[in-house]
Amino acid sequence: MISAAYAFFSSIRLTLFLLAASVILIFFGTLDQVQFGIYFTQQKYFEHAFVIWDYPLQWIGGESLQWLHFPMPGGYLIGPLLILNLACAHFRYFRPSWKKIGIPFIHGGIVLLLVGQLWTQLQQKEYFLWLPEGGQSNFVESFHYDELVLVDITDPSARRIVSWDSRALRKEGTSLSHESLPFTVEVLWYARNAALFPRPPESGNQFPQLPVDRGIGAGQDMVALKQPPTYADGERNATSAIVRLRDSEGPLGTWLVSNLFRQSMPMRDPFPRQVFEHDGRSYEIALRFKRKYLPAEIELLDFKHDRYPGTDIPYNFSSDVRIHEKGSSQSRDTLIYMNHPLRYAGLTFYQASFAENDTMSMFQVVRNPARWIPYIATAVTTVGLLLQFLVSLYFHAGRRRTTS
Amino acid sequence: MQSTRKWVVGGVFLLAAALFVKDLLPPSYPDGWDLGKLASIPVQEGGRIKPLDTIARTSLMMIAGRQSYQDAEGGSHDAVEWFTELVLNPREASRREVFRIDHPDLVGLIGFQNEKRKYFSLAEIAPHLESLREQFAEVPEESRLRTSYQKALAKLQNSLTLYDRTAYILVPPPVFGNAEQTYAMVERVLRDAASADPEAEDARNARNALQLFTGQFEQLAGSSSVQAIPPRPGEDDMAWQSLGQGLLDALESGTLDPVLTSWADASTAFRNGDAPSFNAAMDSLHGLYSERSGERAAKTGFEYFFNTFSPFYYSMELYVIIFIIAAFSWMGWSRTLAKTAFWLLLIAFAVHTFGMGARIYIQARPPVTNLYSSAIFVSWAAIPLCLYLERRYFNGIASAAAALMGFATLIIAHHLSFSGDTLEMMRAVLDSNFWLATHVPTVTLGYSATFLAGLIAFIYIIRATLFGGVDKKMEQVISGMVYGAVCFALLFSFVGTVLGGIWADQSWGRFWGWDPKENGALMIVLWNALILHARWARVASTMGIMQLAIVGNIITAWSWFGTNMLGVGLHSYGFMDSAFFWLLAFIISQLAIIALGYVKRPLP
Repeated sequence: MISAAYAFFSSIRLTLFLLAASVILIFFGTLDQVQFGIYFTQQKYFEHAFVIWDYPLQWIGGESLQWLHFPMPGGYLIGPLLILNLACAHFRYFRPSWKKIGIPFIHGGIVLLLVGQLWTQLQQKEYFLWLPEGGQSNFVESFHYDELVLVDITDPSARRIVSWDSRALRKEGTSLSHESLPFTVEVLWYARNAALFPRPPESGNQFPQLPVDRGIGAGQDMVALKQPPTYADGERNATSAIVRLRDSEGPLGTWLVSNLFRQSMPMRDPFPRQVFEHDGRSYEIALRFKRKYLPAEIELLDFKHDRYPGTDIPYNFSSDVRIHEKGSSQSRDTLIYMNHPLRYAGLTFYQASFAENDTMSMFQVVRNPARWIPYIATAVTTVGLLLQFLVSLYFHAGRRRTTS
Repeated sequence: MQSTRKWVVGGVFLLAAALFVKDLLPPSYPDGWDLGKLASIPVQEGGRIKPLDTIARTSLMMIAGRQSYQDAEGGSHDAVEWFTELVLNPREASRREVFRIDHPDLVGLIGFQNEKRKYFSLAEIAPHLESLREQFAEVPEESRLRTSYQKALAKLQNSLTLYDRTAYILVPPPVFGNAEQTYAMVERVLRDAASADPEAEDARNARNALQLFTGQFEQLAGSSSVQAIPPRPGEDDMAWQSLGQGLLDALESGTLDPVLTSWADASTAFRNGDAPSFNAAMDSLHGLYSERSGERAAKTGFEYFFNTFSPFYYSMELYVIIFIIAAFSWMGWSRTLAKTAFWLLLIAFAVHTFGMGARIYIQARPPVTNLYSSAIFVSWAAIPLCLYLERRYFNGIASAAAALMGFATLIIAHHLSFSGDTLEMMRAVLDSNFWLATHVPTVTLGYSATFLAGLIAFIYIIRATLFGGVDKKMEQVISGMVYGAVCFALLFSFVGTVLGGIWADQSWGRFWGWDPKENGALMIVLWNALILHARWARVASTMGIMQLAIVGNIITAWSWFGTNMLGVGLHSYGFMDSAFFWLLAFIISQLAIIALGYVKRPLP
């Protein structure tokens, strides 16, 4: 039994199957990007053990071919199996010899690469930062995640923030509490993506009244409708919730919160902050893009958008940035431009976009603690490939010499 | 027998030499007209300084789908001849049949039934502009929603716009009479406006006329993409102006730039059929341009030579000859013909290399900067490998593979050039010579080697099943060639993919992003690894390995072109509609070859 399993896991046919399966997986994982965007597709194909590909409706004959599904092993099945297969095959077949000197390097590098990719997928976080010229910020915001925050703003210089990841609100009826808060948060309604708008006049009872009595939702008589989540690149889900705060004496009120209200991207009509008083202290409640605070303020001094003469073809985008470190009167200036990101505090800031007539700049900010692994892994593999290549060339030439 | 052989080989080399001389000679222009001078004058377009010759060629290529046109008598004329007439005498040029229209419904729309011609003149199209405009308005924005008729409409609309934009880059449109008359009027109005009493009738008229001119020239400046007026002495090297801007400047400063008046002289001489005056105008223009155009225009003369020589066209002719010779070598005179093919391949490689080197020199960029240049590079990189293999065996196989690949990729490149100037400026993201010089060529080398393996496999299957079979020794040789090519392919595609990851990490902070093009390269790496493992483990027969290598062709074609057709990701430069059809056709043909290997067992 054990030996049968060992034979199976060490077999070259398994290797061939896994390699072919990877090619197929990557192919369909590329195709689906057109429809679902890169973020969702990446999760679906490379971060699951099994995947089912559906024939896209938009393709030729989509209506009649909708039944066509194609199941295949996903990244989380292929990756570990490849590592297992490699390890077993190594112990079963590999006998050290000069002729195969490159092989362990090649395979060792591949294993390291796979492990590194897994670690990256688990650890990598992506944020963004919009700054107008002259503006500064001490935080970056997540591309995909949201947080519910309650901020004690009584003392503006020492604000205290309590935050929950928005995924904690997923179950309607959940109650959240924190020791530093004198009240609990009840989730009445939650939508991963929602459409929010003021109640259209003459819409009658078409949209139900929201049970909201405080803040923006009450003041503007808003309507909130759940929407299917979007996965398109560059689009963001308008995560929204209705929450009721309650202290030991009873409810304080019900608020509509949404990341739509709290955008720091270029926006014409920002909503007012939702602020309230309780027991002599002031609080702000918000559902916002998840923030990561930096140990410094980043200031945008100048943004430049150069074009080739006589054309609109961009030739360079660059942002002149000043970093004000906390607790230090010194600041340092740096230029972020194409292919030259800023690396700071474990984050990489690179020039990603611009707006408002070239007066606003956007940085994509990536945190990837595993970024050094692929370098080592691929160096090892490349050395292995070269060694193997040269050694076989040498032996080949030797054989030719002896035959002639 | 021996002497016949010599005669044949000598004839082949003589043919190659004759073709070389024919291509090297500059195009023949009408007697007495120094059109070559006009063709080599530098202008700025798309951010780059290039000779008018390049503008002429790319414009005619986009409008007519070729670099020459035929007159009513069937005589062929170079792009520069058409261009000169277009810019200096547009009325006459409107009778030239240069608009290519293939769709029969569209041909019907401009009033021709059962017409055999594919090329039409502006004069024939113009009466139907009204109904064409109505039809243009209904063409959907997104190209994948268009019917074939709407695609033809969109293409014609683009051609008409380009024609219009190209026609008025040197002298203004004949709104106020011809160029000379227009400039005389401008000068008179400027004099009147400057001298007369501001309240006088003349001055008021002059002001009105100025307003009229301003409106007209602003429109001209807005629609032009070519800056044909070099910077004035003392001005910045970048300060090239379009005709419209130059005329607006003239209204402001009160004097016409001598470049403008010289072009007007050239236009008058051209219309009058006065070759000596035309040549004199060209001489004075050459003086003005060489004085004012500066460092950035240093390579225009060379580019003009490069255009007229068209080294890739010559290489293509050679590849055809090489393939025929190599194929004949499998039937008889094997070694002689294989050696002939080998030497011709060496010449073709040298010319191909010259062409690529010329592009690198003109653009001051590494060899691969867009799809067009990748097509040129793919075959170029495979040829040294083929030369090495061929020299070892002299069996014609590697030469045939090289010739097939060279011809196919240059044809692809030719079709990619329909979309405009192939020496385009790099978008900001790609503006990094270091990575362009490492990641891109290495990945492209991976494509080359994978295709080479697939091509040799292709030749093997065809020969084994349809043409006389393959003996054991030959099988071993071919199998060794495929093995070598796959090893090469794995090494380069792996290193290239990794370099891409490092570029991404250095520039965007992430090593791997599952971008379609990255995925394509990874698929090639994995597939080559699969072929090697299958060979080492001896789980596939020789035929099986050959079939796997042909699947490699499909994967590489997908990675090279298919991923660009998705229209998503960092690398989606240039979506190609009609190319999708050819990609599909290619994939089907490859599947057919694989099936052939199953259906017909190798002949004994």
